Amino acid sequence: MTETRVTQKQFFEKAAAGELSALRCGRCGALAIPPREFCPECAERAWQPAALSGEGTIASFTVIRVAPRGYAGEVPYAIAAVHLKEGVSLLGRVVDIPLDRLKIGLPVRFRPLTKNGQTAVGFGPSS
Amino acid sequence: MRRVAVIGVGVTKFGRHDRTSAELFAEAAADALADAGLPATAVQALYYGNVVGGETEKQLHTSPQAASVLGLPAVPTTRFETACASSHAAFRHAVMEVGSGVSDVVLVGGAERVLNVTTEESTEYFAYASDARWEQTLGLTFPGVFALVARAHMAKHGTTEEQMAAVAVKNHKHGTRNPKAQFQKEITLEQVLKSALVADPLKLYDCCPFTDGGAAVVIASEEVARKARRPIWVLASAAASDWMLIGDKRDLSRVPATERAAAAAYRQAGLGPRDIDVVELHDCFTIAEIVATEGLGLFEAGMGGPAAEKGWTSVGGKMPVNPSGGLKAKGHPIGATGAAQIAEIVTQLRHDAAARQVDGARVGLTHTLGGNTATVLVSLFGRD
Repeated sequence: MTETRVTQKQFFEKAAAGELSALRCGRCGALAIPPREFCPECAERAWQPAALSGEGTIASFTVIRVAPRGYAGEVPYAIAAVHLKEGVSLLGRVVDIPLDRLKIGLPVRFRPLTKNGQTAVGFGPSS
Repeated sequence: MRRVAVIGVGVTKFGRHDRTSAELFAEAAADALADAGLPATAVQALYYGNVVGGETEKQLHTSPQAASVLGLPAVPTTRFETACASSHAAFRHAVMEVGSGVSDVVLVGGAERVLNVTTEESTEYFAYASDARWEQTLGLTFPGVFALVARAHMAKHGTTEEQMAAVAVKNHKHGTRNPKAQFQKEITLEQVLKSALVADPLKLYDCCPFTDGGAAVVIASEEVARKARRPIWVLASAAASDWMLIGDKRDLSRVPATERAAAAAYRQAGLGPRDIDVVELHDCFTIAEIVATEGLGLFEAGMGGPAAEKGWTSVGGKMPVNPSGGLKAKGHPIGATGAAQIAEIVTQLRHDAAARQVDGARVGLTHTLGGNTATVLVSLFGRD
């Protein structure tokens, strides 16, 4: 079986275009966010590219009030761990959802953001 | 493996200093050697922890620098960096060097200097322990990581902000009995709950402070230790890791690396949670203490919050945790923290801890967590 390597750079290039890419193990079917060499479930190297829908729900969240250097002008801002419907999770910045409406289980949808000139993972309202 | 003992400990005052991290370490190391009753020439290696020296002091190569300032320029030395667990990781490797018979006397320690830069800067540098591309870009902070853990723990177990605040109140109370602690002042539950939000739901008084300080311990083979005044035996020293990215962690209410390191340490020592008399654990945030008490098996999952609230973790309670004041009150000079925790447990097991002594303590545990919960060290100690 041929293995597909997806680099971190490629992930973020696709993310900038609105697409979340993943890897699916050709042996056991486990899903992972690239980059990754070995499947953590079966230790095989047989990754096949897979696409994610970008839909998920908030698994946990916080509102940052004391920011690192370079982010102070953005406070308060929310960061959430989002459980995507395919079974993997991603951390992202929450946008366009009032901070007081955030709760665990809230449906959200991926959207690309630009932070300090780099593409970053963002999540906005699901519809 | 040969038996290994801690035969000397030294810790600087924690707080703000106008000395370099190398100077702070050297003070602690000289005290540890004096405590061990050994001349500096007895040291065969230095295992050193330092984390943000490259940023706050523009200094790499910190371990030979520390050895030079101490006055031991020729000893083999290596810096360990596993974020906040650095000097505990150094300790585990040093124990293996002595246990394997390579050396008989090894110095272990660490130091950190951060109060010479602004809070904005140190917040940035501490965030370097999270992934640069995936997480730092988002503006994630170290309190933010544990806020995610807190929210998940609250949702799963019903843990309350009052229970988290109880941890801060207890550790500040313990800190009043530790002359080396950064904060030696009691605080009230109301003060914690009314303090400013840092990363919801964590407030200022849920967070440990930024701290300058150094700590060191001298470890030795059984043959050397038998001639020392008060050896405390290393019963186990174990490390475990977990996924680096928050997104890859399956259940944010748990710290699997703590569970794995604890299981390995208990197995090495042939002991279990019920054998532990006193614990120094990594309370970088109040929720971190609650989750650690569960991960170490001291309480059932979900009982860490109620245990803090009921006073079970106070000195005098059924499972005393952080008699030193913990990271919360004693302070958290990140490169020194693991060694400082070991120094406290050794002091407790020698029955030398004065006002904060846990009566009759015979077996102690240290737990140190690195950054985003991807590194945990657990060691166990016992007296003759």
